[in-house]
Amino acid sequence: MRVFQIQRISAIALLVFLTIHMTVVHYPPFHIDFGRIIDRMGQPLWKAIDIAFLFFVLLHAISGSYAVLIDLGGVARMKRTLAASAILLAIVGFVYGTLTILAFQPPV
Amino acid sequence: MASPVRSKSMATVRVKRFNPDSDAKPYMQEFQVPNLQGTTLLDALHRIKHEQDGSLTFRRSCRHAICGSCAMNVNGRNILVCKTPLQGQLDRKGVVTIKPLPYLPIIKDLVVDRSTFWNEYLRVKPWLVPPATSPEREFRMSPEEVAALHNAETCIMCGACYSACQVVALNKKYIGPHALLKSFLRVLDPRDTIPGERLAEVGTDEGVFRCHTIFNCIDACPKNLNPTQAIETLRRLAQKRTAFEAARVERQRTIAGPLAAEPTPAAEGGVRHVP
Amino acid sequence: MYRSTGFVSFVLRRLTGIALVLYLIAHIWVIGSVNGGTELFNSRLAAVQTPIFKLAEVALLAAVVYHAFDGVRLLIVHYFDVTEYRKSLFYAAFVVSAILTIAGGLPILLFAFQG
Ligand code: FES
Repeated sequence: MRVFQIQRISAIALLVFLTIHMTVVHYPPFHIDFGRIIDRMGQPLWKAIDIAFLFFVLLHAISGSYAVLIDLGGVARMKRTLAASAILLAIVGFVYGTLTILAFQPPV
Repeated sequence: MASPVRSKSMATVRVKRFNPDSDAKPYMQEFQVPNLQGTTLLDALHRIKHEQDGSLTFRRSCRHAICGSCAMNVNGRNILVCKTPLQGQLDRKGVVTIKPLPYLPIIKDLVVDRSTFWNEYLRVKPWLVPPATSPEREFRMSPEEVAALHNAETCIMCGACYSACQVVALNKKYIGPHALLKSFLRVLDPRDTIPGERLAEVGTDEGVFRCHTIFNCIDACPKNLNPTQAIETLRRLAQKRTAFEAARVERQRTIAGPLAAEPTPAAEGGVRHVP
Repeated sequence: MYRSTGFVSFVLRRLTGIALVLYLIAHIWVIGSVNGGTELFNSRLAAVQTPIFKLAEVALLAAVVYHAFDGVRLLIVHYFDVTEYRKSLFYAAFVVSAILTIAGGLPILLFAFQG
């Protein structure tokens, strides 16, 4: 699949996930309530939603950065190196992020 | 429209000058020309060249908006100077600024190097590749199919869209709106036998998927064409390339018999084949 | 630089996009501290709850919302033949994101500065 399609598909997914994220996490109340986070993050469903959210955010961010960089004529020559590091970065980010999400346990 | 500008007897034309033999970098020079109704910007440039500075260099040929030589950047917009009245472009002080097309190397004064423009054009095989044998019946297009082309065949290759494109500015490897528009025209032509090959060529990260939908090409086109819509259409078609090509083969077979679908040698050599 | 609404939208899209990537890195750094224990997590979270960060949060909201509606605008252009309305669509995306930023940003600021 092309970077272009990855970008559009993850964008549509993000519209959904970001709406959920913003309404549930930030409004209301307007200060971050640790108890609520822990409560919510303890539920497997929320863990699944957040892992999916993380996945699409990473796709969108990394393919977006890739697109920004290869727009520059000079960088376009290093396309392969850039693509390889993008994929590596995505995997590292996903693994680390997933571990973080899983680490939220009720009795923290 | 009565404005104070019209009453001034002289107009100031600011021209970006550059002579590679003597100038280190481009500079702006001002000329005074009579502010007459019915004068085009090209007329003004001619007057300067004939009466004031014979070294002023610019391209023009037809002077009625069909050859595509005279695209320039006037007051920040890419337009054809031969079809644009001088008075409409003057600001409140009676000044108009003429620069060469942006983002392209300047050869001299208002003349730019358009080689990347033409190279990208050739890359999409702008010519028609018709079936090897001419069918008995004509290749008919429905009025809807013709309308879907949005007059793309009236492009005059002036380069206004190409040089307005932000993606071209960043990366000269991009095929460019002019060539993509032409490819769109050929892909949708029912006589063309290689739509699949064309879609493979333009359906890449250097082609339609590099476009960032900035719309400068539409804004710049002096013929009111719509390269952005052509690119959107090509994007959709590129994603169902095989099915599209099969439909084309089928359509030609029903018109001209099985022979028609075979590719011609013209596909490689660029022989202009008149059916 | 060829000035047009399209150019403005392109630059804003790129700038907000890059800003959001930087934010994402910071966000992962802060939230990732949960791996290092409750104490670390709480201290890092407290560090980003100061008034300055509340202001930055409004800017973040603006960037997210603009980037999102710019994206919606592009999706509309991709899937419907609406290039004639390009200018109106651009202004619409801008106005909608401005309204949402104000609607979402005011409560944040009121909360931050009134306690
Ligand atoms: S001189 Fe031919 S298009 Fe202007």
